[in-house]
Amino acid sequence: MIRAERLGLELGGRRILDEVSFEVERGESVALVGPNGSGKTSALRCLLGLVPFTGRATIGDHDVVKSPIAARSLVGYVPQKVAFGDARAREVVAFVGRLRGVSRDGIAAALASVGLERHADARVRTFSGGMQQRLAIAVALLGSPPVLLLDEPSASLDEAGRRDFFDLVQRLRRTGRTLVLASHRREEVDRLTDRAIRLDEGRVIATAPAGRARIARVVRLSVAGEIA
Amino acid sequence: MRPRAITLVAARELREAVRSRWFVLAAACFLVLSLALSLLGLAGAQRSGLAGFDRTTASLLNLALVFVPLVTLTLGGLSIAGELEDESLALLLAQPVTRLEVFAGKYAGLLAAVAAAIAIGFGTTGLLVATTAGGGDARAFLALTALTLLLAAATLAVGTLLSVAMRSRARVVGAAFSAWLLLVYVSDLGTIGLTVARNLAPGQVFVLALLNPVQQARVLGTLALSDRVDVLGPVGLFGIDCFGATGLVRVLVGALIATALASLAAGYSVFRKAALS
Repeated sequence: MIRAERLGLELGGRRILDEVSFEVERGESVALVGPNGSGKTSALRCLLGLVPFTGRATIGDHDVVKSPIAARSLVGYVPQKVAFGDARAREVVAFVGRLRGVSRDGIAAALASVGLERHADARVRTFSGGMQQRLAIAVALLGSPPVLLLDEPSASLDEAGRRDFFDLVQRLRRTGRTLVLASHRREEVDRLTDRAIRLDEGRVIATAPAGRARIARVVRLSVAGEIA
Repeated sequence: MRPRAITLVAARELREAVRSRWFVLAAACFLVLSLALSLLGLAGAQRSGLAGFDRTTASLLNLALVFVPLVTLTLGGLSIAGELEDESLALLLAQPVTRLEVFAGKYAGLLAAVAAAIAIGFGTTGLLVATTAGGGDARAFLALTALTLLLAAATLAVGTLLSVAMRSRARVVGAAFSAWLLLVYVSDLGTIGLTVARNLAPGQVFVLALLNPVQQARVLGTLALSDRVDVLGPVGLFGIDCFGATGLVRVLVGALIATALASLAAGYSVFRKAALS
């Protein structure tokens, strides 16, 4: 479903990604783990075509550079930092929904699916971190994209918000969606993914096969900063 | 490029601009200054009440040449830089929409917001002048409104170019203010200095003037206001000699449109390759 081939990225004279390659099968849930600055977010941004990179990235056989609209139609994205300006929740969802060709009913259902229907007319800036994250997920789910890219999605959530978020993502996993999660939180990786790819200084240095114990080991190594 | 996507982005941009404090402030300033200048124009004529269209148009030309570039350079400057800084642009560009559609939509939405502010300011003044004082040439007033919109389109495009080049709110505000000083005040002095230092021919000075959208608008506005070509000065006279009055209007309108298009093209070429990181 997702193929990254020798991704390279240089920003401001600094090498951010160096020959990063990985594949994610349809329905698989994969974590990109590693310390801050290891290139997790940049790898996601390459998959979205948000940064000028070398190499090749495809989503569902669509090259993200040559066919950006087709590729991004398949992807829902939840950024680490959620910013919706001064808009109301309903406006945010309606805008992205229209861009994705979602019906009126689908737009209304998106807010309900994350429990925000009662806050539809509130300004997003008045939302708590958890509510903003849920709104970001509602936006990412518009048009039912088969792929979700989540960038440190629970970083700004409290314990209760994190539990709700995990339940939501686990429900999404059961719908057969393909997930790529950038994270350095062990609990998040353990509970939400099948496989972990460890990045360090812009390179893939370890990949754990499916299995919680192996994933835990990769995350431990990542947190400890050891070389696997 | 899909018109529907551009329209959606433009509508969102327009809604956000109209909702912002900036829009209310700009529209209110425009309205108050337009009415104040109209009254001041009349005071010079030792009368009370509002001036007729001629005097109002002459006063508003100067307002447009100073105020419109200041607002549009700043607004255009903040448009993309602000969203780059708070990372909301990354979420927008992660949707099935091209960068060209986002760039064109944002510009179109902002231009619509500026046009609304100008329409409120000039429209209210025009209505008041027509109903209270009357007299004079309403066509010149309408020409000035159209000219102001053209100038806004050109300087908003320059602001948008600054926005993608500077990438941060703080830098872009400084750059927009510098550009405003350059276009409105410094370029005149620079042109005069260069003319004296290099002994430039009128044709060369004319070309220099064509590089500045504020100068283009100034000559166009003067042409709209007066049949006396001597008020245009040597540069304007050179233009009249070369192209005739109608031809000069076409050249200047073309130059304003070209300024907008060139700035947008340069801005998009930067935006197309910009990293959203």
